[in-house]
Amino acid sequence: MGLRKFSLKAFLKKNLDFIAGVLSEVGLTAVFIAVAALICLLLVAVKALI
Amino acid sequence: MIPQLTREDLKIIGYNLGRVGNIIGVLMLVPIVISIIYQEFDIIPHFIAASALALILSNLAVHFLNTKKEMELKHALCVAALAWIFMMMLTAIPLYTTHSTGSYLDANFETMSGFTTTGLSLAQDVDHLSHSINFYRHYLQFIGGMGIIVVALTVLARSEVGSVLTFKSEGREEILRPNVARTSRAIFGIAATFLVLGTVLFAIVGIYEGMNVGTSFFDGVNHAMAAFSTGGFSPHSQNILYYHSFPYEIVALIIFLIGSFNFAFHYAVLSGKRREMFKNIEIRTIFITLMLSTLVIAAGLLYFNVYSSPEILFRKAFFQAASAHTTTGFGTVYPAQMSNVWPNLPQTMMSIIMLLGACANSTGGGIKAIRVGIMAKAFFREVKKALSPKTAVVSEKYHHISDTPLTDTVVKGAALITIGYIVLFFVGTTVTMLYGYNGVDSMYETSSAVGNVGLSCGVTSPAMPSMLKVTYIFLMWAGRLEIMAVLVLVGFAILALRKGIKK
Repeated sequence: MGLRKFSLKAFLKKNLDFIAGVLSEVGLTAVFIAVAALICLLLVAVKALI
Repeated sequence: MIPQLTREDLKIIGYNLGRVGNIIGVLMLVPIVISIIYQEFDIIPHFIAASALALILSNLAVHFLNTKKEMELKHALCVAALAWIFMMMLTAIPLYTTHSTGSYLDANFETMSGFTTTGLSLAQDVDHLSHSINFYRHYLQFIGGMGIIVVALTVLARSEVGSVLTFKSEGREEILRPNVARTSRAIFGIAATFLVLGTVLFAIVGIYEGMNVGTSFFDGVNHAMAAFSTGGFSPHSQNILYYHSFPYEIVALIIFLIGSFNFAFHYAVLSGKRREMFKNIEIRTIFITLMLSTLVIAAGLLYFNVYSSPEILFRKAFFQAASAHTTTGFGTVYPAQMSNVWPNLPQTMMSIIMLLGACANSTGGGIKAIRVGIMAKAFFREVKKALSPKTAVVSEKYHHISDTPLTDTVVKGAALITIGYIVLFFVGTTVTMLYGYNGVDSMYETSSAVGNVGLSCGVTSPAMPSMLKVTYIFLMWAGRLEIMAVLVLVGFAILALRKGIKK
């Protein structure tokens, strides 16, 4: 009567995708931050060498 | 030939403004929860009075201007433009009546800055504002970031055609789900997810840094709202610098970088299409421009011996660059330092990236990464054409959720909006310079207002001339609506004055 059969597998799959998506976006920002940190480090190193 | 305006046109606009106003009236009651939690009962009447005024005016409009006629694009653009003005004026009331700002004009500046997710502030003594008012400022940024009309549509969606038009008139170009109401709910769901994530992360770092649990969560929720909406307000006058905490800055970076991404991109990634992260033109563009600008800003600061250690260079140069490019406005440099200590090269670079802005269909402002990417690709296409034989057909495409051919119409659309932003930038810079500010500071502050960023080099203050405050309110408004809605509203007014209104 209006209730759909609950499927734990489907529920987990759907939410795992979502959680993996959130973590992927956090990972993407981590890449931005890491590359920027590397740029700053390299610039300081280059200045020290010059 | 443009047809003469009719009374029905005005009724359609007024009726739909009333419907949006009803939502504003209800949303203004939410901060009362914070008033009750912190026992700030004297603030409650201010929210109730402002909300009541909004509801009375809106219902009068809905009742007397009731119409069954559907909105067309011109109506939707006018509703979007006018809704922001009325929202600003109504939501400014609690700020003014609680003396959180020095004048009603300052309160309007604060709410326009909030709704447009700019972050420039004229609030008095932010550190000692009541919890309710401080929450209210950040909350305005959060609902502004999602697009207040999107919020209204979620609740009031009556017809799909009108909803789509209003949705697009507010600077959002993509429908994520089969209809606008479901798209609005998807946007709300994505924003709520990152709001919870941000609050938890900020609170954990706050507790780790020695703050008490209550303050950590209160600051956390406010900063999470301001970060995800790329707003930049803070409960502290020193902004993020107040904490002197590297982990706090990293959490802020993560949340506002995520906030600057396109909602369609979020939807794709959260639905399992993770390859989008590597192929999307906006992500590629913002990565390249952010890293190049970080390189220039950091090199400038290093060359002029402003900072010397890599950690400080990262925390000052990259944080400021990322905050500017994502149009957030969180700062780890005092406004006076930006004006007096930072050399012209990095400060000017900051002005440029504030104009470039975040991704389209995000909470951010500015020209938008997709337009920058499209124009860059168009340049490459023209170079390729010039180098190819006359008979060769040179075609180019870009990837944003799906592959799209790079047509002249797409390039023209991107170029027109860019020109609009540049015109606003020149107007704002000229007006600021007329008030005696130097060129670099004028460019910086204008870019911050036009791009809805919120970083300041000290021009924005309660003591600034009133006309300059009005100019910046206009720049924030026009920048948030991507100019077109404002131009249509002006066209509407000129048409009414020249040809009159037909019965």
